[in-house]
Amino acid sequence: MASLCKVMLNVSSRSSLLPKQCVFATVRSLYSSDASGGDDKPPERPKSGFAAAYNLHSDLQHIGERRMMSPKEEKSFQALLRQSALLQMGPAKDKIAIGKIFHIVNDDLYVDFGGKFHCVCKRPAVDGEKYQRGIRVRLRLEDLELTSRFLGATTDTTLLEAEGTLLGLLEGKTKE
Amino acid sequence: MAAGVLTRVKQALRGPRLAAAVFSCHGQTLSSAAAAVHSPAAPTIETDATDKILNFPLTQPDYFRLSELFSIKDLFDARVHLGHKKGCRHALMEPYLFGCRLDMDIIDLEQTVDHLQQALNFTAHVAFRGGVVLFVSRRRQFAHLVETTARDCGEYAHTRYWKGGLLTNAPVQYSPGVRLPDLIVFLSTLNNVFQEHVGIRDAAKMNIPTVGIVDSNCNPSLITYPVPGNDDTPAAMEMYCRLFKMTIKRAKDKRRQMELLKGI
Repeated sequence: MASLCKVMLNVSSRSSLLPKQCVFATVRSLYSSDASGGDDKPPERPKSGFAAAYNLHSDLQHIGERRMMSPKEEKSFQALLRQSALLQMGPAKDKIAIGKIFHIVNDDLYVDFGGKFHCVCKRPAVDGEKYQRGIRVRLRLEDLELTSRFLGATTDTTLLEAEGTLLGLLEGKTKE
Repeated sequence: MAAGVLTRVKQALRGPRLAAAVFSCHGQTLSSAAAAVHSPAAPTIETDATDKILNFPLTQPDYFRLSELFSIKDLFDARVHLGHKKGCRHALMEPYLFGCRLDMDIIDLEQTVDHLQQALNFTAHVAFRGGVVLFVSRRRQFAHLVETTARDCGEYAHTRYWKGGLLTNAPVQYSPGVRLPDLIVFLSTLNNVFQEHVGIRDAAKMNIPTVGIVDSNCNPSLITYPVPGNDDTPAAMEMYCRLFKMTIKRAKDKRRQMELLKGI
């Protein structure tokens, strides 16, 4: 059996044809089929080493899961994140997004498009008075957060704003 | 504004006994609840009913059922998981981060949920026992929101410039025997120049527990109950304010209800 193991391992190290998991699975199945016919299980003895650590950590996991007792099906954070629009979008450079104007100061429009920060755009010359609070607009994103590391600083300085160019009102909403 | 921050005459009637009881349960986790509570400084007679009101909630892990107030999906929709860019990251926030995507830090909501649950539970117990809660935030975008939240739940807020000795020199700046807050909730732990808010250090000096929403560029060190989460988006801030308001209202209503039952 040991010689068989050595042969399999040498095979896997020299040639990359067989994936490693495959090799070990076959080895493990060989061992288990051998052991079942062989000597009976030793009596229950106190666990040590890896087994003890595993029990301890599974208890901690149960404590963490105690709030998940609601009957309705909940998606995990990983699943929510992976399917979120922000991740599906990829890099923000030159992506078109739809935002809503939530604040106006004279000619500055504060547009929220669903990211962490809003972006501030100048009121365009064409159809200027149509841009009021609550209007949805199309914008091309440049950056989700404007940050830069200045000379002599330990962390980046952030402007707490995103950057984008206003393309126009949302089509289908403009009244002619 | 300065007078509105700390004591009002009718609030002072809550009494120093309750304040002592609150201080005696600072820093204790819920699992060691049975050890809490006979406050050594209180000479007054505690009847069985008062004991039951004060002791029994501490034996339950979630007495006010606050876990039903929010879920991971709610936090996700409020954009609580979005952090700053990688270059703005504070080294001590790394355990709370899920990862970094295209230079943008993502906060681990599985951890946030546990931290938020603990923070809300502590706030509820403090409010239940008649403690004074002070909401602090130096973000001018959300100053009005924080002040209205505090007013709606009958507590206090400080969203303006923090004078040096506000907590540490209170007997001189206000009057001797002024009552300090029993809990300070920081809805943003940075001040306007991206430095740590002075109130965190001062609260630690005065043994006042703090709850703080820490973003990926904040230092969570001195905060008693840090809650890793986004503090820049209006949606997230509205959610936190709503949660704290509901928690404090629930706790106070429960207390009023139990006192009425005791009276019967």
